[in-house]
Amino acid sequence: MSKKSTKIENLGSSNGCGGGCSTPAPAPPSSGTVVPTPIELHVCMGLNACKGHDRYGTNECAGMGLCATAQKHNCHTLNNCRNQGGCGLYGDGEEQSNPGNNDCAWQGSCAVPIQAERYSTQGENTGKSVWVLARKLFEERMKKANRNFGPSPYKCGPPQAWLVESLGSYDSCGNSGNKYCSFGYNNPAEDAKELCEKSEPHLCGTANNK
Amino acid sequence: MQKTPFFSGKAEVTPKNLGEAIQQAIEIEIATIPVYLFTYYSVNRVPDQDAISGALAQELTRKGMETPEANKVALRLSAEIMVYANKIGATIMSVVMEEMLHMSLSSNLKQALIGQPHLTGRSPSVYPACLPGHEPEFDINLAPFSLDQLMTFLKIESPDPLPETTPLLKAIPYKTIGQFYDMIEKCLEKYDKKLRYSTDRPQLVPGRRYYANNNIDTVYYDINHKAQYMDADDSGDLVHVVDLKSAKKAISQIVEQGEGNTGAPGLNPNGSVDCKPLNDKDYDDKDKKELSHFEKFALLYCEYNELNEKFAQYGLQDINISNYFVLNVPTNPTTAKYPKADKYPEGTIQAVSNLLNAVYTYVFIMTEGCYQADENTQYEIFMFGIHKTMIFILNSLCGDIQGLTYTENGQTFQATATFENYPFGLMSSPKSQLIELYNEAVALYPTISYLAQRFQDLPDVRLTDSPRGK
Repeated sequence: MSKKSTKIENLGSSNGCGGGCSTPAPAPPSSGTVVPTPIELHVCMGLNACKGHDRYGTNECAGMGLCATAQKHNCHTLNNCRNQGGCGLYGDGEEQSNPGNNDCAWQGSCAVPIQAERYSTQGENTGKSVWVLARKLFEERMKKANRNFGPSPYKCGPPQAWLVESLGSYDSCGNSGNKYCSFGYNNPAEDAKELCEKSEPHLCGTANNK
Repeated sequence: MQKTPFFSGKAEVTPKNLGEAIQQAIEIEIATIPVYLFTYYSVNRVPDQDAISGALAQELTRKGMETPEANKVALRLSAEIMVYANKIGATIMSVVMEEMLHMSLSSNLKQALIGQPHLTGRSPSVYPACLPGHEPEFDINLAPFSLDQLMTFLKIESPDPLPETTPLLKAIPYKTIGQFYDMIEKCLEKYDKKLRYSTDRPQLVPGRRYYANNNIDTVYYDINHKAQYMDADDSGDLVHVVDLKSAKKAISQIVEQGEGNTGAPGLNPNGSVDCKPLNDKDYDDKDKKELSHFEKFALLYCEYNELNEKFAQYGLQDINISNYFVLNVPTNPTTAKYPKADKYPEGTIQAVSNLLNAVYTYVFIMTEGCYQADENTQYEIFMFGIHKTMIFILNSLCGDIQGLTYTENGQTFQATATFENYPFGLMSSPKSQLIELYNEAVALYPTISYLAQRFQDLPDVRLTDSPRGK
């Protein structure tokens, strides 16, 4: 994929977030406008609250964005600001229960974006998918706010292979090896399906996570 | 062997020598950290399975096995090697993290009862080293992973006394680390009405995200790619030491994580490793999910032998399985004695090693700083200083230095971290000296250029007055 991330620097007076799906996408920058209006910063695919607020600015609906608008980073505490941290792999149980919901800069638990294969290593979500937890928290937040949202492009989050293809490169931290598949012995598709189903059965269904 | 004299005190802990005894405990914990880290970085946790499997299949075919069967056996054996190599890393890392926790718990104890714990420059300065005061003395080497090195780890963590030799005279002698902490605990109990616990002096306390039991580096994958967690959520945490009860809680956690519960078996009487099935006392948590350090290492020891036996069943007894995952690093290296690196200018290894030692030492300086700082400053030093230094600078440099090789007696070695105490000068701040060391190292070894901003981002923590043994 070779889409450019130009819309992340969107300018204009409206951030286009009046409704999850029914309102227009944010207006293109008008000439002479000098005050930037930030779009929502979120940490991954399917976690955008607004139309047009993903990395490429092309998503049709809340919850349907392709990728994070928060700055890409690869590990614990490297997030720029509040709610811009990923989750899993490092940090205590509370941090690992709040993907994209950290209190401050440098307090996120792990890399952004959150690949489908990532799991929590501490707390109640241990051994389960981080992205599925992030999506669950997102859906709860949207329902509480009486907002509509659509399905994520990938039901269980963006696979690492897709992120590498989309972003050119992608990595999350740790020395313990590939989270997708360790050996010539394993079945990566089955592993991915099992992680997803174990994390939130109703979201998942197919081995390819689409 | 390096002797570590502390003081000419009695072989018991009293209110008079309590501060020195707790400082000795802190230095016992510190002495283990570089040794475990050195061995950790000697292991390739994710070796090339295709290469291993291909070589094994070739060897099995050479021995007469049909190719399809040889491929199948080679795939299985190579997968077991992959699991074992990764498990070594997860095991040692889980123990190192708890040793750092123990250092902090002992430091909390000292801060509560006496005052500032001293951590900087307290790593062993010469190897082979020994545990301060341990009877009998035994050599502790900075050595790559091997069964011998695992035996050293087992002696460090042994719940049973080791065979007798001549006692030490200049430190409080003890036969197991648990026994040493027991002496401190007995003193605290006996003189409880006399001792005063400070609740004002800063400590590293729970609930501030300073400690997590597991992270991705304490995980390994079994042969079916199921994540295995070395530590349990209920196995321990920091303890704010404010009275006898909390002091005892901190002490029991240190002892149980290291040696297991009271009555846990140690080495066999003949010094061999007991490979019998585990029992409840081998665990350090109430849910029986986390083994003591001793049992974690015993398990690695026994599994190594089991893996060797599996290879022997296929006529592969001549293969040294360690060669698949242990790097060719020297034993007890020092910065000064490293020879010239292949393909790099004279002094390159020294420059990178000095930087690495300075980073390692700065972690202790920052930790001391945590015991002098207000809450928010402490948080910033810990999270933005210690935490980021360990994960993003120290860990990175430990890998980067191994990209430097040298040839000695016709054999090629990888340079590796020496974990020496770096002698920061007093004329400028340690951070500014770190940046100077980085500039010197990167000029010779541009591989580390990506770390520039990491050094700039470090908090500026000053050296504290750190008299020996106080």
